[in-house]
Amino acid sequence: MPRGLVGLVGANGAGKTTLFRLLLGLARPTEGTIEVCGRAVAADPVGARSRLGYMPEHECLPLDQSAADVVATLGELSGLPARAARQRASEVLDLVGLDEARFRPVGGFSTGMRQRVKLAQSLVADPELALLDEPTAGLDPTGREEMLALVARLGSFGISVLLATHLLDDVARVCDHVLMLDAGRLVVAGPTETLLHQTGKFTVEVNAGVGRLARTLTERGLTVLAGEAALDGEAGAIDVTVGPDPEAVLDTIRDALADLGLPLHRLSSRAASLDEAFTAGGGL
Amino acid sequence: MSSRGAVYDRGYRPYDGPRGGRKAAVLALYKASMRRAIGLRRSWRQKALPFGLLAVVSVPAAVNVGIGYATRNSPLEGFSFFTYREYVGVSSALLLFVAVCAPDVVCPDRRQRVLPVIFARPLTGSDYVLAKLGAIASLVFAFSILPQVLLFVGQTLVSKDGSLNYLTDNADVLWKVPLAVAALAAYYAALSLALSSLTARRVVAGASIFGLTIISSIVAGILHSADALGGRGPLFNVLALPLLVRDLIFEGHIHEGSDIAGVAGAGALGLVAYLVVLAVCVGVLLWRYRWAER
Repeated sequence: MPRGLVGLVGANGAGKTTLFRLLLGLARPTEGTIEVCGRAVAADPVGARSRLGYMPEHECLPLDQSAADVVATLGELSGLPARAARQRASEVLDLVGLDEARFRPVGGFSTGMRQRVKLAQSLVADPELALLDEPTAGLDPTGREEMLALVARLGSFGISVLLATHLLDDVARVCDHVLMLDAGRLVVAGPTETLLHQTGKFTVEVNAGVGRLARTLTERGLTVLAGEAALDGEAGAIDVTVGPDPEAVLDTIRDALADLGLPLHRLSSRAASLDEAFTAGGGL
Repeated sequence: MSSRGAVYDRGYRPYDGPRGGRKAAVLALYKASMRRAIGLRRSWRQKALPFGLLAVVSVPAAVNVGIGYATRNSPLEGFSFFTYREYVGVSSALLLFVAVCAPDVVCPDRRQRVLPVIFARPLTGSDYVLAKLGAIASLVFAFSILPQVLLFVGQTLVSKDGSLNYLTDNADVLWKVPLAVAALAAYYAALSLALSSLTARRVVAGASIFGLTIISSIVAGILHSADALGGRGPLFNVLALPLLVRDLIFEGHIHEGSDIAGVAGAGALGLVAYLVVLAVCVGVLLWRYRWAER
């Protein structure tokens, strides 16, 4: 997994939380080995955990303590000296927008504020990698926007993020890379932009010879998406998969049109969604 | 003069200071559990019970010292309500203390689902058990030893024979009391935490601690009355087992007044029963947190 912001996408039960438990060394893989931040989890689970931050999906905060106490105590449990833990707690609560509320009991917080405390406790020990499990769960649209903005900033702080969610839109907006799980199986992995391009489409509309164009583009290695009727017709439109190298695809389309002498009526592109990438990969 | 304010984004500062490992994490959990149990950084209501109990268990010592001072020049000189041995384990007060504090340091972690974020730190299940046991045992030790210190210092100061003579005459107390109190503290902590670890509800845990001690004392009483099991029935009173160990520490044998005093090998039997209960309780605790034992 590369450094940076990585989305872990999958439907409920796909294995996202199980993967987190494996990374934390709280579950054992049936086969294979796991290495986190340069440490083999099976050999040194405690060492691996010392460089990880974890934000669970569910409620996980002591409700009768103040946010500052909760985050500072968990910072100390991560190995920070007491004074440094309190200082860090103050800083990260400030970072997540809870500077004034940090001395109030967590039990009186809204869902959005509790999500922020959960994020703060995962960051208090300055982890190399933060495992965030559904950080936008239960948030209203504004809260979701703010949480995604916070997560997006983590990369610039030098903290890598593995963001588990079933909301593909969240991943498309903040993650550089995507891992897609389905029933515990990795179905798609790669840079977000590449995945979007791979499943994006160019639409080519000509006034004549659309069937010949489709055959020529197929012969030249492009993936043409169109029904039989369109391919047999004279005037019409066909979709061509963008693939990993959009420039080369456009060049091929231009050359084919020129070679066949066909009149181009329209050439447009349409970015795919990660849902389409996931579906193409066999998930959902 | 301008009244315009400004919002500064102070950004994020990476932490490059020292980091402790597993030991630091255990110590931090130990301290956090102690703070929670005695209500530090919590409302006054959480502080009232532990410190109220400390005051209650200290009253006999203060009274004893006061009477010693008042009667030092009278025929009653040397009168004492109780001995140091008897003062170890003011059982009902300590039972109330562990029945409230032990559930409070483990049940909310389970009920509020804090355990996953605790075990996402450099800690294992046995580290968690060690920290919680240490915290409750330390508090029971402190709450038991402080009144003893008050009693000893007070008796030393009011002694008619002089402080130095009292000190040399009672020097054995200086190791017997801490040892007996430590045995009592470890036992109470393990028993109360083991029962608390079986439930996520504090009320249920507290009631279980009281229930077990009451039921076991009733069973032990019935067995003793029926003269069953060759007179070994009192061994089923789980609350009394550390007091048998206390007797061994102070007198080298079970005290004559004990229900089990006439049984052959009573001291060894009491010690074995104490260790078995202690081991079972620690085993239950390790078993309850075994999922994080990696």
